[in-house]
Amino acid sequence: MTEHSMNATAMERKLTMTLDGQPVGFSEGETIYQVAQRAQKNVPTLCYDERLEAFGACRLCVVEVEGVKAPVASCTTKVTPGMIVRSGSPTIEKYRKTLLELVVSENREVDVNPLRGFASQELTTLVDRYGARTGRFKGKKSGTSNKSDDNPFILRDYDLCISCYRCVRVCAEQEGDYAISMMNRGFSTQITTEFNGRLKDSDCTFCGQCVQTCPTGALADKKALRAADLPGEVTKTRTICPYCGVGCSVDLLTKGDRLVGVQPAMDGPANGGALCIKGQFAFDFVQHEDRLKKPLLRQADGSFKETDWDTALDIAAAGFRRALEQHGRRSIYGIASGRAPHEAAYSMQKFIRAGFGTHYIDNCSRA
Amino acid sequence: MSAAGNQQLIERFRHQPAPLLPVLHAFHDRDGFLSEDALRAVSEGLKIPLADLFGTVTFYHHFSREPGGLNKPRVCTGNVCSLRGGNELLAALKSQGATAMPCSGRCDEPVPVLRGHETLVGTTPENLRASASPLPAPNPGGCEECIFTHIREPGRATLEGYKRTGGYEALTKAVREMSPAQLLAVVTESKLAGRGGAGFPTGVKWKAVADAAGNPKSVVCNADEGEPGCFKDRAIMDHDPHAMLEGMALAGFATGAARGFIYLRYEYPETFRILERAIAEAEAAGLLGANILGSAFSFKIHLRRGAGAYICGEEGSLLNSLEGKHPFPRNKPPYPVTHGFENLPTAVNNVETLASVPPIVRNGAAWYRGLGRNGHAGTKLISLSGDIQRPGNYEVPIGLPLQTLLHEWAGGPLSGRTIQAVTMAGLSGGFLAGDSLDCTLDEPSIRSKGSFLGAGGIIVFDDSRNMVAAAHDAMEFFAHESCGKCFPCRIGTQRLTERLNGEAGPRDLAAWTEEVRDIGAAMRATSACGLGMAAPFVTDSLLKFFPKQVENHVSAK
Ligand SMILES: Cc1cc2nc3c(=O)[nH]c(=O)nc-3n(C[C@H](O)[C@H](O)[C@H](O)COP(=O)(O)O)c2cc1C
Ligand code: SF4
Ligand code: SF4
Ligand code: SF4
Ligand code: FES
Repeated sequence: MTEHSMNATAMERKLTMTLDGQPVGFSEGETIYQVAQRAQKNVPTLCYDERLEAFGACRLCVVEVEGVKAPVASCTTKVTPGMIVRSGSPTIEKYRKTLLELVVSENREVDVNPLRGFASQELTTLVDRYGARTGRFKGKKSGTSNKSDDNPFILRDYDLCISCYRCVRVCAEQEGDYAISMMNRGFSTQITTEFNGRLKDSDCTFCGQCVQTCPTGALADKKALRAADLPGEVTKTRTICPYCGVGCSVDLLTKGDRLVGVQPAMDGPANGGALCIKGQFAFDFVQHEDRLKKPLLRQADGSFKETDWDTALDIAAAGFRRALEQHGRRSIYGIASGRAPHEAAYSMQKFIRAGFGTHYIDNCSRA
Repeated sequence: MSAAGNQQLIERFRHQPAPLLPVLHAFHDRDGFLSEDALRAVSEGLKIPLADLFGTVTFYHHFSREPGGLNKPRVCTGNVCSLRGGNELLAALKSQGATAMPCSGRCDEPVPVLRGHETLVGTTPENLRASASPLPAPNPGGCEECIFTHIREPGRATLEGYKRTGGYEALTKAVREMSPAQLLAVVTESKLAGRGGAGFPTGVKWKAVADAAGNPKSVVCNADEGEPGCFKDRAIMDHDPHAMLEGMALAGFATGAARGFIYLRYEYPETFRILERAIAEAEAAGLLGANILGSAFSFKIHLRRGAGAYICGEEGSLLNSLEGKHPFPRNKPPYPVTHGFENLPTAVNNVETLASVPPIVRNGAAWYRGLGRNGHAGTKLISLSGDIQRPGNYEVPIGLPLQTLLHEWAGGPLSGRTIQAVTMAGLSGGFLAGDSLDCTLDEPSIRSKGSFLGAGGIIVFDDSRNMVAAAHDAMEFFAHESCGKCFPCRIGTQRLTERLNGEAGPRDLAAWTEEVRDIGAAMRATSACGLGMAAPFVTDSLLKFFPKQVENHVSAK
């Protein structure tokens, strides 16, 4: 063992703190919240999204630190060696309940359809966990839904907004778009675009990330919500978005045999919860009535006529063979469609590579 | 024409530090409001995303986005002015498009009206007149002063007047004869502590900045003075501006900072011009700027003007505001001493703190310590207002009995009245009443009564006042000024206001009290900054001292 690595181990050994009476290790730069999560403390949060810089808005994550007078927000407080932390004393739990009762009192609706977005159940889950549906702290509601924004993708239902600023932060930190921000202040705070206009007149790219991080469903997936009244449970199936080479992991939402929506996989290695407008919202072609279900054969006059698969495949094979014989294998170039399933894309490249011995294969969305 | 104008306004500040506020003010002044066109130009010119800029502009209440907005009167309906006819004056000026503004720091001469960049005072549209802010009266206790010693001398606001009685001698001595470490030692030994509210030892703060890695360092003079019932910093800046500038330069010398910023509240337009002139005079005399008095020490002061947000007095919010960001407070740690302006080491200090330094350097640390009573070091400026014979600024020895100030120095209550309650720390300390008025003006004593001295604003309420209404006005201020970053304060100040004005809340006294206490406890314990932590002092002290008035209020609904 080199001297350097010995020092490093010795250093690591020294980095311990006490969490709820138990010694736990931590690494340089970690926050109390991160350590508590690893120790399965289940500290509640509403403004936290692990992909974003900790912000400290909801204050649900407060914990007690010995020697510090007021509780601290665990999400923004870095651990220091020897720190003694209590993550959920009865006093702290009482504050958390009060905070949740306050949030319930400002909000118009706590229970929302899970189709609204990935994180949309966070508020209702916590409210139930803390029994915060007490009806205390009645008063004015905050936030005003933007009814005039007629974009086809994102519902801006700020009647349900609790000003956690996750949407604003994800747009800035993850998407780098700075399309949205907060207007006014205090209880009058309102999520806005420049001059409080429509998303399509702003810098928004409709990536949908704000929708998926919103903990109340105030920002909601309009396309998925079309299936709100369809019977049945939502099933999630993990797959990879076919549109481009990045390989974003997605969960396809289905009800019965209908594809009703797409959510980014927060743990997707290539995307970490991000998508673009196509991966997020462009799936209607799958069930579109214009979609081809039978092969069509082009006639001499240019029109198409329905045929069966055997006939179609024979004609296609003959065409490939003719081209191969007359012009050689380099005369054939395949372009797969980004809207085809991965299996089709795989077969297509196999067909070109194995069939013709070239790499003349591409995909339409290799942009 | 308009486009070229836009470019010029932006170019004037684009290469300076902290350009956003002056650029926005330049457009606001030119057009009388901030137009869409202006914001688009600023966004482009300073490379700030438009949505961000728009949101930030809406945060500041004095930036108007309607044509003609700048010159519409703003009438103070703060806690003192509402006792002195502020609401009636607002109603009388409604036809001129007047709007209400919270305490604008003229409680010693109610009611102030801001029109464009002019402060008028009066009680009816007819008797409104421009008037320089009042000077402090000669010390009624005959106590030796630190800050006000020379402030009443004619011409004191000019460089010549200031130099007549030792002005800039401390700076001269520092750059010619002292090392930064020696200066730090004097300030530390004087036991000077922050006068902006938090009371942090100034020497310790400066040493932390001096020791911190990273350059350039900054000194930020916090002249936001937004706390209702506080108008002491205005007195210093209007009548003795060079004292503050000299204090800033000394802070720069001690900490190794070469640049200084003054963050002045919007509501002090005359003060802005006084400071502009004083800075120019000092620069021309080689007392500020490059190579001060021929030494190696350079210190450049940039004057910046806020735009109507109490929270911008909180140091993290202030720094974000200077940097052109959305003015939410910052999470601490790290503190400004290591991560301040542009994430570099920064000393943020109150006007009064800084103005105390030149006399301390001239007369010595022991002299300053000896000005206090009962073992407390130094003096404190108190802004006294409300139902009292002689409102105004008083420099008291720390440790002076509150009753002495109220009855002997300031003449006691108005005739036929008795004092029912006083606020502490402006509004942030809530109320003291009854036996608790028998305290001395120092933090340990006032904390033992469940409040704090803070920035030293004291508003008096006599026995004719409804204390629930007074508490409501206070809480409404905090709700109005809550930045909205954190849940407990954003929702809590709103809910407490609704309970104090009867708009919402239980009709049963026990349930009402429990709700108010629970909200207060969560705010105090979990709020992200001092605003939300302090606001419940108002409701807690109301419940403590005036249970009968609370009962009447709840049962009357
Ligand atoms: C809500 C809030 C408002 C504040 N407003 C002011 C202010 O207007 N002026 C000021 O000097 N300090 C104000 N402070 C205190 C500052 O954050 C900071 O502590 C102070 O400027 C440090 O200077 P000092 O050490 O010289 O007092 C405020 C604090 C809070 C929490
Ligand atoms: S959809 Fe994407 S780009 Fe548009 S506001 Fe949301 S996060 Fe920003
Ligand atoms: S819209 Fe959703 S994510 Fe955005 S601030 Fe409101 S609650 Fe938070
Ligand atoms: S306590 Fe109030 S003012 Fe301070 S950060 Fe929270 S919301 Fe903003
Ligand atoms: S998660 Fe820490 S304050 Fe919200």
